[in-house]
Amino acid sequence: MAVDLGQMAELLIAGKVDDVEKMTEQAIDDGMDPSDILQKGLIAGMDVVGQRFKACDMFIPEVLRSAKAMGAGMKQLRPKLVASGAKMAGTMVIGTVKGDLHDIGKNLVGMMFEGAGFQVVNLGIDLDTQVFVDAVKEHKPELLGMSALLTTTMPKMGEVINALKEAGVRDQVKVMVGGAPVTEEFAKEIGADIYGANAASSVDKAKEVLEA
Amino acid sequence: MTFRTNYTVNKTTRFRLLSEDQKARIYRGVIKTLNDTGANVFHDEVREILGKNGCKVDGKRVRIPPEVVRDALASLPPTTTLYSWDGNEEMCYVEPGRSYFGPGPTPPNFNDPDTLERRPYIRKDATTVARVCDALPNIGYVQSLGSISDVTNGLADVYEFADMIQNTRKIIMNWAFSEENVADEHRIGIVMAGGEEAFKQRPNFIHYSEPISPLTSDVDAIGKCLYCAKHRIPQVYTPCCIGGATVPATHAGQIIVAMSESMVGVVLSQIVNPGTCIIIGGVQSILDMRRTIYSYGAPELGIMSAAFTEMLNYVGLPMYSTSGCTDTKKMELQSGIEAAFSIHMAMLSGANFVHDNGYTESGITGDIFQTVMDDEIIGMSRLIAGGVEVNEETLAVEEICNIGPGGHYLYEDHTMKWFRHHWQPTLMDRNSYEDWDAQGRLTMKDRIVKKTRDIIENYEGPASRVPEDAKKDIQKILDKAEERVRSQS
Repeated sequence: MAVDLGQMAELLIAGKVDDVEKMTEQAIDDGMDPSDILQKGLIAGMDVVGQRFKACDMFIPEVLRSAKAMGAGMKQLRPKLVASGAKMAGTMVIGTVKGDLHDIGKNLVGMMFEGAGFQVVNLGIDLDTQVFVDAVKEHKPELLGMSALLTTTMPKMGEVINALKEAGVRDQVKVMVGGAPVTEEFAKEIGADIYGANAASSVDKAKEVLEA
Repeated sequence: MTFRTNYTVNKTTRFRLLSEDQKARIYRGVIKTLNDTGANVFHDEVREILGKNGCKVDGKRVRIPPEVVRDALASLPPTTTLYSWDGNEEMCYVEPGRSYFGPGPTPPNFNDPDTLERRPYIRKDATTVARVCDALPNIGYVQSLGSISDVTNGLADVYEFADMIQNTRKIIMNWAFSEENVADEHRIGIVMAGGEEAFKQRPNFIHYSEPISPLTSDVDAIGKCLYCAKHRIPQVYTPCCIGGATVPATHAGQIIVAMSESMVGVVLSQIVNPGTCIIIGGVQSILDMRRTIYSYGAPELGIMSAAFTEMLNYVGLPMYSTSGCTDTKKMELQSGIEAAFSIHMAMLSGANFVHDNGYTESGITGDIFQTVMDDEIIGMSRLIAGGVEVNEETLAVEEICNIGPGGHYLYEDHTMKWFRHHWQPTLMDRNSYEDWDAQGRLTMKDRIVKKTRDIIENYEGPASRVPEDAKKDIQKILDKAEERVRSQS
């Protein structure tokens, strides 16, 4: 019996991580079109999650559980999509800058991007500028996200952007910054492409910039 | 004779959330967490000290056995007195049942007193906050409500304290980026006290620093804690726990994590300098699971802070609590409602230092107008917490019988004496409609703005009484700090 992609979407909405992963695997084994699995299964589910979140029918922990299910499905699906040349969300590298051990905001953003279909490389906290530069070279992400909670560590984000320029890789990646004290003005000042005011809206903003 | 046998008096309002059994259970959770899991401590010297004094160190991880916690709690001071910088007045007693309300530290923005628009916090705001707080009768200690944006990067904390301490005699709770900066602030405190010995005898500030949830003491936070302990500077070591995100979504679980991560500072301070004053507590609230903001207006903040206060009373630690803050962006009904709830909860629970009176926009914008409003709410709350006095005189049976049915009490000596105990509003409107109309139909917001600006324009703070030598010495400390930052960059 063929995999029911509608059911896959429902399981994803319900945040059943293991079930979504298994079902994706099954669908691939059954020879279903990877683009169909992505669009009619995973993305169809996440679209509903997004709508319900905006309507206050779903809350962050539920959304993140669905996002995790999305990530589990994508892990199976990504190689097939790459092989078939299908269009999909790219890679995001994310981390908290040097001197800052604050983890939660950056993780939240990373999880939301996973839900949007991105492959998320979470570098961690208290990261040297060079770690960001090396990660951009290694993973060739479409998006680099940086976070700072302290006013003293905020300038480090500008330093990373400058280091990307020096390394000649600034143009191949869009840079997004966020964190409680970070403002849109500050983001512009240091030459970031995207200011993420909060986890949910930063996904929308990033998609806009990447699709432009 | 007024002597009575087996007679109980409730001197103040009684308020209790947790039973003895519940407190014991939560405390066992703390003990088990510290013993089995412990906390990560990113400071070599601190780990070494803890390791040599009964804690189990494994890489960054430090586990604290129950007997080490017990010894630390046993060595806490039952009371600590803080003094005005001129040494003339006992300003705060860190002991059970004493509550002092004040603003909070470090929001990036400030509500401009002239334009009423949010903008980055600048140096002169620190002076404004200190002066206004000095003038407010129910504000018991002072924090800055911001992080200065227009001085050398990395010295906002030192400039802030240098300016504030000259503009209020109330106790300032300062903060610092690093151990070096807290040392600068210590020097400023010593200058204002009139020497090192004078400062030791009469400390004039409390230092504030923050571990990170869950269970992490970063190098700066625990380094500052160590510095304060070594120099016997009274200090606060408290996290901002985000319920459902950095700590469990349940209140009891949140208190266990919060208490455990602060206990690292408590244990360290008492090993390094037994009897030194340390206060824990912090911001205890939830992540709004729809908007991903850390809520400063949530009712959960009030209930968790009150429960935490009871837990700390249980183990003999003073509580640094939170109130008078709001998630809203502008002075409006919401700011008053949220502030009133949290202030009253903190008051009833008997928290010791209650901060963030003046936080708006979920802690992103400091607002001195909010502090001025909070001052009024604290006054109302204090009256309620004060309870009902019952004695021969307040029972007034003699007066009641003398006046009898149908008379009035307005001529009575008893009334002349006791009506003065009634709380008098400074912001609440109790005018008749006609008077209110004639006086320009002022709203609460209008009255807050008027009162605040009146203080800013006319209040004579203690600045003119700061000795010239002290001013010069403080400038030298600032110049040296500038030099240090230049040489480091």
